[in-house]
Amino acid sequence: MSETILIKGGYLLDPATGKEGVGDVLIAGGKIVAAGNVRLADAQKSSPDGHVEVLQCEGLHVAPGLVDLRAHMGEPGHDSEETIAHGAEVAVHGGFTTVACLPDTEPANDNVASALFVRRQSEQAGFADVWPVCALTRNREGRELTEIGQLVEAGAVAFSDEQRGSDTPAAILRGMSYASMFDRAVIEYAQDPELAGGVMNAGYESALAGLSGLPAVAEELAIARACMFARETGCHFHAGKLTSRNAVRAVKRARKLGVRVTAEVCAHHLAVTDDEVRKAYDTNLKVFPPFRTREDIAWLKRGLREGVIDCIVSGHRPVPPQLKELEFGAAPFGSVGLETALAVALTELVHTSELPLLAAITKLTLNPAKVLRLDKRKGSLSPGTDGDLCIFDLKSEWQVTESALFSHAKNSALLGRTLKGRPKFTVTRNRVIDLGMR
Amino acid sequence: MTEPAPLLWKRKDLLGLEELSREEILHVLDTARGFSEISTRSIKKAPALRGKVVLNLFFEPSTRTKASFSLAAQRLSADLVDIVKEASSAVKGETLVDTGCNLQAMGVDIVILRHQQAGAPHLLARSLDACVVNAGDGTHEHPTQGLLDIFTMREKFGDLTGKKIALVGDITHSRVARSNIWGLRKLGAEVGIIGPRTLLPGAFRELGVNLHYHLDEVLDHYDVFNILRIQMERQKKGMFPSVREYHHLYGIDSRRVKKMKPHALIMHPGPINRGVEISQEVADGDHSVILRQVTNGLAVRMAVLVLVQSAQPATHGSGRYEHA
Repeated sequence: MSETILIKGGYLLDPATGKEGVGDVLIAGGKIVAAGNVRLADAQKSSPDGHVEVLQCEGLHVAPGLVDLRAHMGEPGHDSEETIAHGAEVAVHGGFTTVACLPDTEPANDNVASALFVRRQSEQAGFADVWPVCALTRNREGRELTEIGQLVEAGAVAFSDEQRGSDTPAAILRGMSYASMFDRAVIEYAQDPELAGGVMNAGYESALAGLSGLPAVAEELAIARACMFARETGCHFHAGKLTSRNAVRAVKRARKLGVRVTAEVCAHHLAVTDDEVRKAYDTNLKVFPPFRTREDIAWLKRGLREGVIDCIVSGHRPVPPQLKELEFGAAPFGSVGLETALAVALTELVHTSELPLLAAITKLTLNPAKVLRLDKRKGSLSPGTDGDLCIFDLKSEWQVTESALFSHAKNSALLGRTLKGRPKFTVTRNRVIDLGMR
Repeated sequence: MTEPAPLLWKRKDLLGLEELSREEILHVLDTARGFSEISTRSIKKAPALRGKVVLNLFFEPSTRTKASFSLAAQRLSADLVDIVKEASSAVKGETLVDTGCNLQAMGVDIVILRHQQAGAPHLLARSLDACVVNAGDGTHEHPTQGLLDIFTMREKFGDLTGKKIALVGDITHSRVARSNIWGLRKLGAEVGIIGPRTLLPGAFRELGVNLHYHLDEVLDHYDVFNILRIQMERQKKGMFPSVREYHHLYGIDSRRVKKMKPHALIMHPGPINRGVEISQEVADGDHSVILRQVTNGLAVRMAVLVLVQSAQPATHGSGRYEHA
């Protein structure tokens, strides 16, 4: 740990200014002091004791620390799956320095004490900075609103009834109206609950697999409805986990009408298709919403290119092995993702020339920071922001195996895949974590 | 009787007909032809599985499939264990894989699995060295039923290339339909599915299957009508309006049989809802080979047991613990 850190010679990517090129970053007192050309002598001047930790980064890319706006941590309630402290450490292994965790815990994160608990666990762990997305209604039941005003003061970065919200339209409408007073986004999972009772994408593959299908129209319907609520209330609606052509179209239509809507895609939804799900009934490929078709992935990529989809998220959801070792229909949904999100984005978007590198990084840093209202502190290399960096090797190839993952939970939908691009160092405020040492 | 040619068969498990080649399907059927002769002898036993243990592991009620597998195993001189279980669950009781490993540790050689979850036999087959035979997994496949249906059709028609086979009823929720479709398409038959649109997966067109919503328009087109059981709970879930309307539109009665080709076969995998999907007189009539299917099922299952066992590694342990 050092007060002053100088990152030398890396290729800088700054989403805030749109500038990229070889340069240096100086961090002092946990904040970025300068980005560009920084001489060691100048760095020493800004250090109280004259000591500067220098990290040579020639050949590596230096981006702001990644910001995840969708991770599910087990704590409280499912600490055996993942604690906030462990999740925060897993995050830095994937280059994430800021993580928003969803309120689908037990009990739900719907009160000030729970929100403060997340912040405290995160601060004690000292890895990624974890922020609570709090429930919009008490116990996510869709009736009484949570104390949104006080939760904002306690650190809530957004509100969501996570996966239940679509069941209770009246509560969402009221919640959006109320939350808009505090300038926070309402994040909803985009699936109509009555239509979304299946276990894999509805279509050719589910028909052959004999598994019940989740139709993409369920997603379109729920997004369209939430967009209408956003239009009525002026609230910022953030559409969670787009997976289908239908969903991309629904967001695009709303954008054209001027609705304040942003959208995200989970990295692994860009990499896995439903035919792979059927091949082996592999429960690691059971995620919600489900993996869809090649055509849907093409639409997601197009949505990212056209700016309809603003953010790439991890969708990280640890599941213990004994629950994934069940029949496909009985196993829980979910895949870990914090350690693979960057690599998937680089592999599927940047190395395939679907998206310029800086645009991809923006969707992993500044854009999610904006949704979470953390962009004054996170997601850029601007002086005065937190000294968080993701330093990665764009071309390093690696295979996703259980042993390659730091996370206790190994339920990755990408096990066996070779990905191109991997974080090498993560800097969190005043600490350089060498990921090559694992 | 025809000796099975071991080189043609390398699968320790039979999970579905989708993964079988045309040659493998024909090989099972040829092997079964040899076994059907045993049933006509006064001493109905062969020694092929002497000293082997066959386990019926049924998580769903079944009468004929379980009895058929039991008789098949006994005629091959295997020892037989029957286990009937409630639905497996994550919370209470042990998982399917643990159950399988425990039974394998007791020396079971072949597990015959009936399970309400699609893909359950695949999970078990991955975890065990013992052979796994799928006796029906959810709404996915029921390969031995598919094979015995095809066996029965070939008994009447010989080569099925270009023969026109219709499946009538709830295709969406039918494992029998899926196994029939895979097997029949591989053998070059023309396959049609007939039923209400809410119960026919449109995606099956991509397999080269014809979809018909109006039975009366195609009665004289098909050589075989394989009629599937309609499950009353589907009506309660709103998949079709009423049993009366279903019977009116899709029930096979003698009036409809008269409009079929003279040689048309009526098949049904059972159990039959008499008066719903098929009328009494048709089920027992001249065109019906429903009981013949049951008889053939025994020979087909004997063939399957012998073939999978022949492909099992010579020695096997208790599964997961060795491979952990």
